[in-house]
Amino acid sequence: MSHQKKEETIIPEKGTVLSAEKGTKRVILDILKKALAENLFDAVLIPAQVPETEAYSWILLQDESLFEWADPLPPVMTVQGGRALSSFSKNGELEQNIAALLRPCEIRAAIELFKLKQVNLKNITLISLDCPGAMPLSNYMSDPQKTKKDFQHILEKWENSESLRPVCQVCQHFSFIDGTAADLHIGLLGDKNKNITLIPSSPKGKKLLDQLEFGTKDSVEKWKTEKQQLANEKIKRIDAFNREWKKKINQANGFFNEFNPCINCHNCMNVCPMCYCQQCYFDSQAINFKPEAYMQKAEQKGALRFPLNTMLFHIGRMSHMVLSCVSCGACEDACPVSIPVSQLFSMVSDQTQKEFKYTPGMNREDALPLQDFTEQEFCEVEVPDECHEKAPEEAK
Amino acid sequence: MNSKYKPNIIAFLCNWCSYTGADLAGTARMKIPSSIKTIRVMCSGRIDALFVLKAFLKGADGVMMMGCHPGDCHYQKGNYNTRRRYVLLDNLFKTLGLEKKRIGLWWVSASEANRYAKVTNEYTEEIKKLGPNPTSEEIFL
Repeated sequence: MSHQKKEETIIPEKGTVLSAEKGTKRVILDILKKALAENLFDAVLIPAQVPETEAYSWILLQDESLFEWADPLPPVMTVQGGRALSSFSKNGELEQNIAALLRPCEIRAAIELFKLKQVNLKNITLISLDCPGAMPLSNYMSDPQKTKKDFQHILEKWENSESLRPVCQVCQHFSFIDGTAADLHIGLLGDKNKNITLIPSSPKGKKLLDQLEFGTKDSVEKWKTEKQQLANEKIKRIDAFNREWKKKINQANGFFNEFNPCINCHNCMNVCPMCYCQQCYFDSQAINFKPEAYMQKAEQKGALRFPLNTMLFHIGRMSHMVLSCVSCGACEDACPVSIPVSQLFSMVSDQTQKEFKYTPGMNREDALPLQDFTEQEFCEVEVPDECHEKAPEEAK
Repeated sequence: MNSKYKPNIIAFLCNWCSYTGADLAGTARMKIPSSIKTIRVMCSGRIDALFVLKAFLKGADGVMMMGCHPGDCHYQKGNYNTRRRYVLLDNLFKTLGLEKKRIGLWWVSASEANRYAKVTNEYTEEIKKLGPNPTSEEIFL
């Protein structure tokens, strides 16, 4: 990459450690409340439980008294936060200051959308937090109480649980985003829920901590150690995960078989933060033909499947967004026929992103792989391979 | 393999180099295999991954992406984008266990009529060896 920042952002040594005796969620909400009261922000974008229901949603909170609805760590990811942020920030710059409390995968989606000009980050402070994962939405909807209890247990222990969504179990970016994505990170690890650690990840975040009079005097070492431990465990799992899926897919018709139950509802596309096109080719009239065309096709093959383009939709969507896929798992939650969409996309994105040495949503400055190039790259794919032909000439 | 088997190959040619090169090949009465079905695009950078995937899944035995040589693009950098897009497609095919030989990227300039004839003939032979694309028979796609 030509204009990619080469040096890695190093996790700062100092932050603020706050006691979480009152409960983690309470402490996080108190910080945001304080910031709102001191007019550091005009509004906070935060997940909230719809009163007297089990439903979770996003709210742009301006009235401090409504903080009781807010839940910084809901057991499920209903709407992807990147999408929520894009829905109100894509049409122009905001004059007011807004804080957005998002899971790391949601922040990364927001950064990808920022690169695609679907999110305007001016005056928006992105706050990430250690994410234990999320429970499958269908499990939560069928038994909210039990799922909540299970989630609470996971949150206390910070251990892997089979009841989490599969992509969450192997998530590599569950904590501090090592780059210029977020402004402030809230570490829940470290002393296992007794403390929370505020780590600034941008000058904006550091200023915020100073304005809140927290400063950056405390060592974040404890949080860092625990985070690293958890990261190591997850790395072990991802290799096995990718290998297993690769094996499954590489069987004859492996990929097609996985997607055969698809009912063409396009939910995966509608919930995907990266599928931002206003008019999707697959929803357009461009794929509709006169009935004779279908009869002809059916005659050629002996039969024709309806609705059309099931596999083309999935592979086509993959080709369009896989390099920006943050493996948030929203697609799998939305699938009514339980296709492991996000697991497959996660495996494929892992392979393809590696080829471009790109991890989506890490740095605001990194160009999207398909919008960037250098002249001397990937020469091995072209016929003739010109880089190597030209190289001696240029040496002269 | 049936010697009469004629592959069905879709070739996307950029207007300024490859299409002109193909045109020159025709004018010079060079032998171009009838398996090649050309689609002209203004720039190889216009070839969306979806075009290639659609051709492949609708049963094309091979898909050729052709553009100007690097540095020669009429629009300065369109073909560099094409190259990256091809790398993505190549990777998708590899990861999904599809036959990656069925898609390819070639640079053919406006004056390279010889080269156009050569690569189309060679690719046709290669596809003949591979046989028909299984997706052309597959109903549940």
